Amino acid sequence: MTITFLIAPDFSPERFAGWHMLNTALQRRSGVHLHLVTPATAHEQSEVMATGQADLVYANPFDAVDMIRTQGYVPFARPAQRFDEMVIATGSESGVATVEDLRPGCRIALTENRDVKLIGLRLLEPADLAESHIEWVHVDSYQAAARKAIKGEVEAAFFLADAYASLTKLTRSHLRVLVESAIHDISHVLLAHPRLAGDLAAIEKAFLGIGQIQGDVELLDALGFPHGFEVMSQEQAEFMIDLMDTLLD
Amino acid sequence: MRLTDMAQPAEPSKQSRLTYFDGSSRIVYVTDLEVPFPQGRLIVSSTDLNGIITHANDAFVEMSGYSRDELIGAPHHILRHPDMPKVAFKGLWDDVAAGKKWHGYVKNLRKDGFYYWVYATAVPNIRNGVIVGYTSVRRKPSRTRINELIPLYKQWLDQERSVS
Repeated sequence: MTITFLIAPDFSPERFAGWHMLNTALQRRSGVHLHLVTPATAHEQSEVMATGQADLVYANPFDAVDMIRTQGYVPFARPAQRFDEMVIATGSESGVATVEDLRPGCRIALTENRDVKLIGLRLLEPADLAESHIEWVHVDSYQAAARKAIKGEVEAAFFLADAYASLTKLTRSHLRVLVESAIHDISHVLLAHPRLAGDLAAIEKAFLGIGQIQGDVELLDALGFPHGFEVMSQEQAEFMIDLMDTLLD
Repeated sequence: MRLTDMAQPAEPSKQSRLTYFDGSSRIVYVTDLEVPFPQGRLIVSSTDLNGIITHANDAFVEMSGYSRDELIGAPHHILRHPDMPKVAFKGLWDDVAAGKKWHGYVKNLRKDGFYYWVYATAVPNIRNGVIVGYTSVRRKPSRTRINELIPLYKQWLDQERSVS
């Protein structure tokens, strides 16, 4: 039996090798054959989900809401001490010094990452800016968002905090961070389809064991999860969903 | 758990007696000093069905001025500021008990008598179809909106005082 392991498309391209290393290690340690699926976009991810073939999912928190509460996926682990945070930045010469300097009609560049948009909108509230007050400029990558902010084509750009940190030092030197979230309660989550009940214990043990064997450091570095994985209970996931619900207004 | 009277702060302060919905009361001290909402953070807490705090994140602890041990097990109205009229909370408990979301702008009182403004959202925690508690998340509010609400809250408070 082969288990399909779907990875949310919002990881940085340089982590691609890390996910394959993880997949190989998980197969070796659990004895379960895993087929890694890495959709390039949220749309591609939706297509895979619609087939009903995703057995294991590394889901972003926004998508996890529906997967857990509507589709019955079971949360079991998450990256340890690694939360989903976001950054709002402007070009260093833009004249925008704080979020409150942004005005209705301002242009903001963003990728299709819905979590980043949701949290970013909440961080814009002190400036009296709602979604309809903004001219959204959609881009394919965080690098493109950075370029638009630096060139002054947008007043600000939204970034996943990890993606912002992975921009080159030179690029970041031409940007100014207006605000960075520090929520610490929202994270990606590993989900299992209920049909995996028989294999889940072995898979969970393999995930939680990553980091305990010599050589795992390289794997975790490649993934960008230096602290490995930790258990995420159903209640912890439900609490995270409640928290996200408060942001959806 | 009944709250004890607040300790008088070192800064100039006004004393008042707050009476809560459960009939308990205590003396609180308020100063004119505001603590700004921490940039980029959310203040998160959960309570049981009786409004007793069961979870407080680090931002909640830091902004309240209390220790985590003082907060867990205390009623959530430990943060109630005397400038907040009861009517501003009208519907909060009705909404969440009915399974609905509630929003409002709230001025909170810290242990040291300082205050901070928040935009609060409360949701019921529904597990297996049953409400088991409530979670409240506070965000940095719009200053424009607060400035609009301050005179309104004062007007409501004056009305409540004239009735009682």
